[in-house]
Amino acid sequence: MSETVSTAVENPVETPEDENLFVFVPLEAQASEHIAAPNYSYWRSVFRRFFSNKVAIAMLIISGFIIVMSIVQPMFSGYDPSSTPHINEFETHFNWPNATYWFGTDKVGNSLWDVVWAGTRNSLLIAFVATAITTVLGVVVGAFWGYSKKADVVLLEVYNVIYNIPYTLFVMVMMYILGRGIGTLIFTLSCTSWLGTAYFIRVQVMIIRDREYNLASRCLGTSTWNIIKHNVLPFLVSVIVTTVSRDLPSFISYEVFLSYLGIGLTQKTASLGRMIQDYAQYMQSSWYLFWIPVTISALISVSLYIVGQTMADASDPKTHMI
Amino acid sequence: MRRYIWGRILRSILSIFLVVTLTIVMIYTNIPRKNVFKNDSNISKLVSRPDDYISYTYNIYDRLGYLDYMTQNDLCRLKAGEQYSSCVQKGSAVYAALQKEYEAKGYTFNLFTTGYGWCSRDFSPFETAWNFFAHLVQVDNPNYVQDEDNPNIERKVYFGTDSNGLPALKCSGCEHKYLIYLNGSFPFIHFNIITLHYGYSFPDYAGQAIEDVISDGQGEYKQSQVTFETGMTSYSAADLHSCRYKATSTLDTLDGKKFNDNYADCTNYFTDPSMVSTSYLFGILSLLLAYIIAVPAGVKMAQKKDKWQDKLGIVYVNIMIAVPSLAFIYFVKLIGNNLFQLPDKFPIYGFGDLRSYILPIVILALLSTSGTMIWLRRFMVDQASSDYVKFAKAKGLSQSEIFRRHILRNAIIPFVNSLPSNIILCISGAVITETVFSIPGMGKMLPDAIKASNNSVIVALTFLFTALSIFSLLLGDILITFVDPRIQLTSKGDSR
Repeated sequence: MSETVSTAVENPVETPEDENLFVFVPLEAQASEHIAAPNYSYWRSVFRRFFSNKVAIAMLIISGFIIVMSIVQPMFSGYDPSSTPHINEFETHFNWPNATYWFGTDKVGNSLWDVVWAGTRNSLLIAFVATAITTVLGVVVGAFWGYSKKADVVLLEVYNVIYNIPYTLFVMVMMYILGRGIGTLIFTLSCTSWLGTAYFIRVQVMIIRDREYNLASRCLGTSTWNIIKHNVLPFLVSVIVTTVSRDLPSFISYEVFLSYLGIGLTQKTASLGRMIQDYAQYMQSSWYLFWIPVTISALISVSLYIVGQTMADASDPKTHMI
Repeated sequence: MRRYIWGRILRSILSIFLVVTLTIVMIYTNIPRKNVFKNDSNISKLVSRPDDYISYTYNIYDRLGYLDYMTQNDLCRLKAGEQYSSCVQKGSAVYAALQKEYEAKGYTFNLFTTGYGWCSRDFSPFETAWNFFAHLVQVDNPNYVQDEDNPNIERKVYFGTDSNGLPALKCSGCEHKYLIYLNGSFPFIHFNIITLHYGYSFPDYAGQAIEDVISDGQGEYKQSQVTFETGMTSYSAADLHSCRYKATSTLDTLDGKKFNDNYADCTNYFTDPSMVSTSYLFGILSLLLAYIIAVPAGVKMAQKKDKWQDKLGIVYVNIMIAVPSLAFIYFVKLIGNNLFQLPDKFPIYGFGDLRSYILPIVILALLSTSGTMIWLRRFMVDQASSDYVKFAKAKGLSQSEIFRRHILRNAIIPFVNSLPSNIILCISGAVITETVFSIPGMGKMLPDAIKASNNSVIVALTFLFTALSIFSLLLGDILITFVDPRIQLTSKGDSR
């Protein structure tokens, strides 16, 4: 330590040899603008956070398996709910689960394995399409609703009228009026539910848009689009994912509920609710017929819900600790 | 505040009107009216008798509000007056004149195979909706009775005593004998003076008024020793307070022995409660149980935030939200049935046995715990960091005291808002639970009506449930301003 100090003192004048060791660096405009912060990517953080949860990974695998099976399996099984090819082969009726029929067979000899996947496909189709409509419409209208004061007056009245009608009553009466089918069921389920999402988004937008950092951004001249992209949307993503993860199980539940009561889908369409209604009478004699669809419906709802909730937590930027 | 409430009431009535009118218009235009007879067993027996077929179907369409139907006899009685006897003849000139007059009003005229005429006019859906509202509220009045055989009936409203010696407002000339009376059963004071009429049910409970279907008792007649007005005592199920006017031509000798006047058309006491009472009983008991479970659980979760109690509670809430309610009901039913030998259907032991009630009430309660638990936890956690809690801590209060006496009282306020609707909407019943357990309540009514194309019941239930829901939400908003005076329903100035 003392040695270096002494050399510096001994050679106060730079020699030409020393000068060759250094290069003159001009002021770099870009580097001076750079703020020293760790490299942060929103979506990479989201996924890192999501995959750190082992339960969520397990649920993702389960829901992924069920979704893939319900898309792929019905393509090859050729199951059609209105045809009964084995009706006269009595030895194929009410077989318990075995190596040939993995989930057993029902009263007309259809393999429950085929029926389950065909039914799951329709139930999932209804839930996913209804959720997509609800979310897209809800977010677009909700964002507009939160920003415009004029729209607020009108939409609040509409919301008050529709919110007052019990949803179950509405769904049941609408299904009766429009007739039973996949299309009408999707329409009925998403017909008013988007208003709930829109109201939720409205509140969030109103909270976020008046925060100090957004006012500061606006003062600094950031464009509205950039404010929405960088300041508002990251917060909304987690809110949207939360509503999606609640809507999906609830729509599955509604399909099961309506079809079970005999006012949802018709006999011509396979679905989880229709199966549960059909097989409820065999609960004592051939319980596998009833409990397998019930278990699948519970499994798909729970796994989708947990995946969605974990995703919602992960997509909240406040949880991205660096 | 008062102005706000009147505005809300006005808007509520408007939205009920809107919803019911829309429902009626959509049902009466979209559903073919033939569907009414889809589940009717009588119609197939009438195919070979065209006259009876027409009068049967058109009488029912008339009752359900599709059209106005009159036979030659009805029209002559209504319009011909003194020429009645010549009007009812085949091909009479008086009838032909009436036909011309009514064809101008939009009626179509036809002939039965016997040669007598009949006419009908279809209502537009808006007329049907109007008729529904016009007949909805019926006020009993002394001019109600129009009995040809009893023209000199005394018409008056007076105070008197009923068969039990209690004071009652009685009437002569009204539909009901007792307009207002007291008795020992809830709600103790009863009104016959104003009744709601929703139309007639068909094909289930064919021909009965819907309000009677939902509010009359079920099961067997419940007989007891009854002393009638004339002093005659007999073993009977008649409810003397419910007696209505019976036309003199239909009175029989037994009625004459029992009653001094024409008020002899009484409803009966039944052993089992009505659909409304059944649903209400289940609803209230399960609501109580739900609060008994959920409030302590939610408090515990907030108190032990991030400890195992909290995590367990969150797992439970997540499962309750995600699992389809049907799967959950069957799962709990399986456990209760196998482990505790509880009945899996309500009618196995019926109303008299306590065991019938346990499983449905537990299931209904558990289904509604998750919402209360998670929100109570949320509100309490939010409150826990506020200044008054820090102050209470500084004063040296214990943790449980702070939670019980300070935080809980503030956190419970938002629940007051939903309390009236929770209590009132018990009437609408729990659809799946009642179906799974075959409980004879209101919840099963709507799906059953939909399956049977029972349009008038669907309309009536839409009206009833929408009205109850709207007014209970209003009640909740008013109630919360009493509980928490800081909350104001009217915003003064710019609130944004």
